[in-house]
Amino acid sequence: MSFDLIVAGRSSGGRLLFTTITALCLTIMYAPVLYLLLASLNPDAQLGLVPPSRYSLTWYFALLEDRRLAGALEESALVGLATAALATPIGLSAALAYRAMTRMRGIFLLVVLSAMFVPGTIEGLGLSATLRLVGLTPSWVTITIGHLLWTLPFAAVVSLIGLSTVKQITIAAARDLGAGPMRAFIDITLPLMRANLISSFVLAFLLSLNEHARAYYLVGRQNTLPLYMFGAMNSGASPTIYAFSGAVIVICVAVVALVFAGLAEQPGEAREGRRARPG
Amino acid sequence: MVAEVEERVVPHEPGAHENVSARWRLATFFLALPSLVVFVGLGFIPLALVVTWSFWSFDPDTYWIKPAWSLASYAALLENGRATVFLRTAGLAALTATASTLLAVPAATVVCLLSRPRRAALLLALFTIPFFTSGLVRAFAWRLVLGRQGVVNNALMSLGVVQTPVEWLLFSDFAVVLGMVAAYLPFAIIPIVLVFGRIEYSVIRASQDLGAGFWTMFSTIVLPLVMPGIVASFLFVFIVAVGTSMEIQLLGGAGASSISIMINDVLRVVNFPLAFAIATVVVTLLIVLVIVANRALRLSRLFESLGV
Repeated sequence: MSFDLIVAGRSSGGRLLFTTITALCLTIMYAPVLYLLLASLNPDAQLGLVPPSRYSLTWYFALLEDRRLAGALEESALVGLATAALATPIGLSAALAYRAMTRMRGIFLLVVLSAMFVPGTIEGLGLSATLRLVGLTPSWVTITIGHLLWTLPFAAVVSLIGLSTVKQITIAAARDLGAGPMRAFIDITLPLMRANLISSFVLAFLLSLNEHARAYYLVGRQNTLPLYMFGAMNSGASPTIYAFSGAVIVICVAVVALVFAGLAEQPGEAREGRRARPG
Repeated sequence: MVAEVEERVVPHEPGAHENVSARWRLATFFLALPSLVVFVGLGFIPLALVVTWSFWSFDPDTYWIKPAWSLASYAALLENGRATVFLRTAGLAALTATASTLLAVPAATVVCLLSRPRRAALLLALFTIPFFTSGLVRAFAWRLVLGRQGVVNNALMSLGVVQTPVEWLLFSDFAVVLGMVAAYLPFAIIPIVLVFGRIEYSVIRASQDLGAGFWTMFSTIVLPLVMPGIVASFLFVFIVAVGTSMEIQLLGGAGASSISIMINDVLRVVNFPLAFAIATVVVTLLIVLVIVANRALRLSRLFESLGV
């Protein structure tokens, strides 16, 4: 996609404008969070920035004392792990089905993606009423059910992208060498998709961890993190909420950056090339 | 997919072919089954129940609903300024979608046309990462920036531009739209980037060989080619912005409402049929919107450029 031709000199006015707009986009996406992060290092109770020499993790240590936070963290971790553990294999299976389909492809993809665009409030409302009908009491199980619906489209797309890097010819070669379909899948397809499957798991976990609208309707007695945070944000913000927000953002960004780096490092072709070499 | 290979390996043996394609269809069905169970069982059926229940009546004995068919909830949609909330939500969402798309077109162009591969990958990652972080925190962070003693007001006052803090920066529609634009830019940029992936780049090269400058090339070649992505980008942001509530709850002014907040409020007084009616109207409108856009633009094709 490198397109040096367009980088020609006479186009500089338009380029400058477009680059400026791109920078503006990145600024509104990152600057507020960055400011929050720096403000959370301020040891005073009053909000604002302090010189770097006075940076302190006071409010971060105060988080450790918060019992209700620990409960919410535990609940969110449980829901996130359960969601990711379900979404990853089901997403992979959906991606395999899509690749095997001929006529129904378009409709199937639309069904898979449609769940992305139903407002969380409405999905949560419908699910909570339905699950109540079935007799399921709200708990981490009901939240996991809601989050599975929310994360599955993303897991399926990540698996689809992974599958597309697996060359048909590699599998055909395995089949020629006598491997059954299952053998070829386990020995060839799965290892080639490893990075995508890990991404699928991690991204599903993060989407679940940060989900608020559905959890609001499906939650039992124990709050999840976003529900706890929303309450804290709207009740006279204490400095610990800045520290907590900062911690959540830093962890999420670090994890996604790692996942993306992992995906970028091993593009399908290179992986296949390396595997094809003997020894 | 495994079976697909099998079919290619033995395409000329009629008997085997038939056998394989029956097995293939069965395998495909079982692969699709788990996700269909989730999307139908947890997605469609609850929505269908919501639609049905919106025509039932409130039951004061059980604080739930009873199967007495009624249109009362739909009549109630027009009371207490609820129609205004619908229009305001749609208006703010349209404003957000317009602003996001206007920003996303140049940003996607920079990613896809004006960057070398390494920088393009980095930019794309930067535009995607925030989506997987807490939306709550990102909305909340604007409070520190836009508040009376926030960064913007402090800067304006110390520069002497204003004497007293600007009040409309926070707890206003301005803050809500800014927060939503910042939050949903990934939804705006990704569809356009996907469409860029399907462009034949030699067309652009040809326009340049023929002497087109940046703006001629952009407006006559690039814009028409990525138009489906631009419409998808507007649509995606609009849909997500219609459904959200946290930006309005954290950044909106006193009494600011949205469809989602209205549903929450209605449920607080256990008026289930009305909540279901609101949800029904919203989902119906969104589905119509998606179907129309899909007819016009084959949105499902967007994903073809992912190589899937």
